[in-house]
Amino acid sequence: MTLAWGRRFLMCPPLHFEVAYEINPWMQAEVRVDRDQAHEQWNSLVATLTEAGAEVEILEPAPDVPDLVFTANAGVVSGTRYIPSRFRHPERRLETPFHVAHFEAAGYEVTELPEGLDHEGAGDALPFAGTLISGYRWRSDIEAAAALASLTGASTRSVELVDQRLYHFDLTFCPLDDRRAICAPLGWDSYGQRVIGDLVPEPLCLENDEALLFCANSVVVDQTVVMPACPPRVGNQLEAWGFDVVVVDVSEFLKAGGGPRCLTLALDVVLGG
Amino acid sequence: MREELNRRETVVLEGHIVDSLILPKVLDLILEAGAEYEVVELDMGRTTLDPSLAHIRVFTADDDAMEALLEQLHVHGANRLHDEDASMAVADQDGVLPVGFYSTTNLPTGVRIDGVWVPVDNPEMDCAIVVGPDGARTAPMHHVRTGDKVVVGGKGVRVQPLPQAPAGSAFEFMASDVSSEKPKALLVAKVAEQMRAARQTGGRVLTVAGPAVVHTGGSRHLARLVRDGWIDVLFAGNGLATHDVESNVLGTSLGVSVAHGAPTEGGHSNHVRVINEIRRHGSIAQAVDAGYLRGGVMYECIQRDVPFVLAGSVRDDGPLPDTITDVVEAADAMRALVPGVTVALMLATTLHAIATGNMLPAGVVTFCVDINQAVVTKLADRGSHQAMGIVTDVGPFLGDLAEELGA
Repeated sequence: MTLAWGRRFLMCPPLHFEVAYEINPWMQAEVRVDRDQAHEQWNSLVATLTEAGAEVEILEPAPDVPDLVFTANAGVVSGTRYIPSRFRHPERRLETPFHVAHFEAAGYEVTELPEGLDHEGAGDALPFAGTLISGYRWRSDIEAAAALASLTGASTRSVELVDQRLYHFDLTFCPLDDRRAICAPLGWDSYGQRVIGDLVPEPLCLENDEALLFCANSVVVDQTVVMPACPPRVGNQLEAWGFDVVVVDVSEFLKAGGGPRCLTLALDVVLGG
Repeated sequence: MREELNRRETVVLEGHIVDSLILPKVLDLILEAGAEYEVVELDMGRTTLDPSLAHIRVFTADDDAMEALLEQLHVHGANRLHDEDASMAVADQDGVLPVGFYSTTNLPTGVRIDGVWVPVDNPEMDCAIVVGPDGARTAPMHHVRTGDKVVVGGKGVRVQPLPQAPAGSAFEFMASDVSSEKPKALLVAKVAEQMRAARQTGGRVLTVAGPAVVHTGGSRHLARLVRDGWIDVLFAGNGLATHDVESNVLGTSLGVSVAHGAPTEGGHSNHVRVINEIRRHGSIAQAVDAGYLRGGVMYECIQRDVPFVLAGSVRDDGPLPDTITDVVEAADAMRALVPGVTVALMLATTLHAIATGNMLPAGVVTFCVDINQAVVTKLADRGSHQAMGIVTDVGPFLGDLAEELGA
């Protein structure tokens, strides 16, 4: 059965996108972003998603918050409830008022995480077959998963992220349907590998170099998998399972350590039920 | 539990810790750090939606190891359980504690003030904890003054259990039941071993002695032990000192000849006559200076500057001028001599042994020698669990001990 979600996304045009600070190993503040190129790549991603059958809603761009384009980190959405992220880095905390204003205006019920807990939204929490899997360590606190569970009613599992290069869970895991997922074990500790192994009957496990190409940071719209890169081995397996692979160029966004999944926030997720 | 793991802390772990393998991971991390654990509570969620809760007691070798481990466990959501500062109330009356004051044990105790665990000085049971600018200390009720900050409730107070004993150690030995059936020579050797260890490590040996020490002919052995530097502090009552003086000046103890065991004529008044003479001299020390007292336990204490406290009671004759008749004052004088004591010998005395036992920190190796098993049991029942009982006649025991120590 195809994924129950992934047909409606929130995205933010890269009007103010740049690499202004370094909060992950991919970011180099001296690297310039070609903003025209970024625009072109972003527009192309929107077109690809739309063509695959998804709708795209727009988060208004704002100055001085360059990572606002990475909407996956806006928070966790479940039905009409929106739980804003609590960013670990002060640089990104500036985004939260823009996120909250957007979701309030869109009529969502905004529920805060308990004080003192960091969690970076869908970047560190992805639903798979009725379970919300949450990554922790670099950006999110493990206790936040328990809070998300009680706020959404979802059964959760926590997985420790151990490789700083794969600093968000969505760089290591991509649900394809309710039996299959792209997995990057490189990013998980041995306990996490066992937890995912128990949950996912048919994993597509990435080699380390494939994981570092951000193959898991893909967006799935029905049978279409929109990827930042796709080595033949991975593509063959996906096609054997009946998926259509579309590779999009997101090289400008990779300068900030983000791929297609980071640029999107699925709005049609319903957790816990 | 390995005996070197003295530091203990309880952490709480909550959430989907079973399905996510966080619980086994945390337990593995504890073992990998060379620490140990005990799961003291585990509340498993009934469904996959319910969070589970675990309370895990963690044991490490020291504070540094504990802090490093807790920092590591924190990442996985395991956090210190009672991570709160102690509550305090201000005493509003001299000698009266605020309602709900924390009543101490004799175990090493810490109190959390502004996020920092501060050790409590002079662990003593049945006291309050007073916090001042220089730290925290135990205070008996009558020491509390208006305005003192006193810890109330159990929050932010932690008590460390005594280390588990390595096999064959004195602590293991002490943990055995009171018995009159043990080979005495072995017991004497164990006591001597502890006294030697105290001498080597700069610890002080306290002796609490009752008058039976004199009646049974043990005082000359005790005097030898004092003379040869094996005893650093003496607690006794009016009786021990009186009969010690009596036996050394008149050769009797309560009128009975110490040498021949026969009552002497008019001997029943001997003890009051010597008390009277000591009073005439002004003190035991002055009687020694004047040449009136030339031997015995008290004489050796004076000669060697071994501090002593003679605590009085209602049945005392005299009393001797050195006897402190105000019990609260006497207890304070005893208390002042407790710091540094590592070994205590309670010799044929009930009330003084219990009074002293109440003041000693739990770590003090305590031997209670009495012909009456009930005395030893009583000491243990009152909370001095560290006391090892030796049921025997104290006179011969002291002879054997002095022999063993080459005194």
